[in-house]
Amino acid sequence: MTRITINGKEVEADPKKPLITACHEHAAQVPMYCYHPGLTPVGSCRICQVELQQGEIPPRIVVACRTPVAEGMVVNTETPQAHDARRQCLEFLLKNHPLDCPICDKAGECDLQDYSFSEGQAEGRSVEPRRKLEKRKNLGDVIVLDQERCILCSRCVRFFEDVTKKPQLTVSGLGSRSVISTFMDRPLTGNYQGNVADICPVGALTLSGFRFQARVWNLDKHLSTCGECSRGCSITVEVLRRKEVKRLRPHFNEEVNKWWMCDHGRFSYARLNAEDRLQGATLHQDGVPHPVDRETGIAAVVDMLRVHSGAYILISPWMTVEEGEQALAFCHALASPPRLLAPPTNDLKDDLLHTGEAAPNRRGLEGQGFQTQSRDDALSALAAAECAVLIGERITEILGVEALAELSNSIRLIIFDTHALQVSATNVCIGIPNAAERTGTWINVDGHAGRIAAAKPAPPGVASLTRSLEEIRAALAPVAGEVGS
Amino acid sequence: MVIIKRKELSFIEKLYLPQIFQALSHSFRAMFQPRITRQYPEEPLPTNEVTRGQPRLTLLEDGEHLACVSCGLCEAACPAYAITIDGHETERFIEREPERFEIDMLRCILCGFCEEACPKDAIFMSDELELADFSRAALVYDIDKLKRPREELQGRIDYFYQVNDRWRTPSSTS
Repeated sequence: MTRITINGKEVEADPKKPLITACHEHAAQVPMYCYHPGLTPVGSCRICQVELQQGEIPPRIVVACRTPVAEGMVVNTETPQAHDARRQCLEFLLKNHPLDCPICDKAGECDLQDYSFSEGQAEGRSVEPRRKLEKRKNLGDVIVLDQERCILCSRCVRFFEDVTKKPQLTVSGLGSRSVISTFMDRPLTGNYQGNVADICPVGALTLSGFRFQARVWNLDKHLSTCGECSRGCSITVEVLRRKEVKRLRPHFNEEVNKWWMCDHGRFSYARLNAEDRLQGATLHQDGVPHPVDRETGIAAVVDMLRVHSGAYILISPWMTVEEGEQALAFCHALASPPRLLAPPTNDLKDDLLHTGEAAPNRRGLEGQGFQTQSRDDALSALAAAECAVLIGERITEILGVEALAELSNSIRLIIFDTHALQVSATNVCIGIPNAAERTGTWINVDGHAGRIAAAKPAPPGVASLTRSLEEIRAALAPVAGEVGS
Repeated sequence: MVIIKRKELSFIEKLYLPQIFQALSHSFRAMFQPRITRQYPEEPLPTNEVTRGQPRLTLLEDGEHLACVSCGLCEAACPAYAITIDGHETERFIEREPERFEIDMLRCILCGFCEEACPKDAIFMSDELELADFSRAALVYDIDKLKRPREELQGRIDYFYQVNDRWRTPSSTS
């Protein structure tokens, strides 16, 4: 550690990190556009200028992101000279920036807006017309580029160079005609394109799926965990009017995902917003579905389990640790071994984040004592079973609706899932909340716990899985007691 | 404790007759004076450009599209949470337009914050004040009920610029 002075306060700073990190750690507000803690600093935007005095040299203006910390530095971020340098820099950045804020999706979380307010001047002095460039350029299916708004900080260029290690973007053209473009105008590829829209400090790179959908100040942000693979990236779930998940964004987590997340997880919110959710419960009798309320469904389940006490119980790897605890007690009450359905794998595995295993909590549930069972084993066991209880989000999806429909008509199926399942067998489906509607913990592939948060209310008539299982267990308990006596 | 003695009335006062005649004379005099009340529904209230009636959305010169780009600033400025906007993408140059723009007129307090917040001259207070219907849902106005040609609101727009010019700086918007 090195001792330096920031705004008259002596502090300890890490000599391996640039000066801007030390400034931010010690509450000195230094703006930044091109600097990103996860990328190589280049010092191209010049907005992080601070006044530095070192030894006998008189104070001078330096960019904090490209200056390494050295012993005895005296840094001042608030002198008139430093403010003036940043104001002038901002005036040049705004020279060609269109006044698009009412239309721009970044408005409200835009660094350019924030620093113009805190550091900039109210009016531009330029009389020349602004440059006219392409406003709507599709860089692949995910990202749309607005060349006029771009301030050429090159964060997106460096993201593909430093993080995915597959450079796809570059700054082409010279001088005021410089624009961000892909090589030979090829569309962007890969599973990490969405991150460039997050790190873009202005509204130049936007997600085509989120474009003009909502104003960011209307979104309620909930810290949560992504459930699309066993990495369990920390994310924020952003909900519009307590109803619709509008986007998922990565949230900084040093141990798990740093600042990034994959597009597979990022665009999984369509599933969270699904319209055709199971409300209450559905009783299928001879292939005819009867929608009923949850209490009636629970009563039907209790009746079924009284007859078939040794039911085959299988849970989904999307269950949280808390729900797993309750499911374990449920298994013990029915005297059947706790079984976990092995998560499906996909070919999205890469070196960065995606594990290729589509389940967030296999490790946590296995740690609680659930025995993992492959899909084929589970289906052959189901074919032999009289009565089966399938618990958890996506369990019918992993087993396959066709495979379940092929089961003999004599099997009694009890399903706890977010959607009703139409199979010819007599069965009960009870609705449960999805990953954006409940709280709990998932343990990721490396053993890190991630909390999931209820970001929006569950559909009407749906109670938590824990509560449903507890009610069934309580209703079954006296019967078990009578048998014992 | 204070004891207040009631004033003793004189004989003339006890008769009450002078007061009755005084009141009658007032009534008869008023009969021949010009009327100051108004037969309201038949005779509408006079309004001018200072009247802050219900907010209305202006149309562009083409008479088809709204000037609104659904930036949501009126929604954010509204102290009564009366405005709800959903935007979507459009092929026009402006890129964004409202898909849904609703003002709950039962919530609206006619404060005019929306008109002050608007960066696009898209919402102005009209001189329309009457509000009655048989259901609450009918009083949540959508785009069709809110849109007006700019000429209808021109008086208010001119007045708005006149009073606000002292703090508006010339903007460099294109």
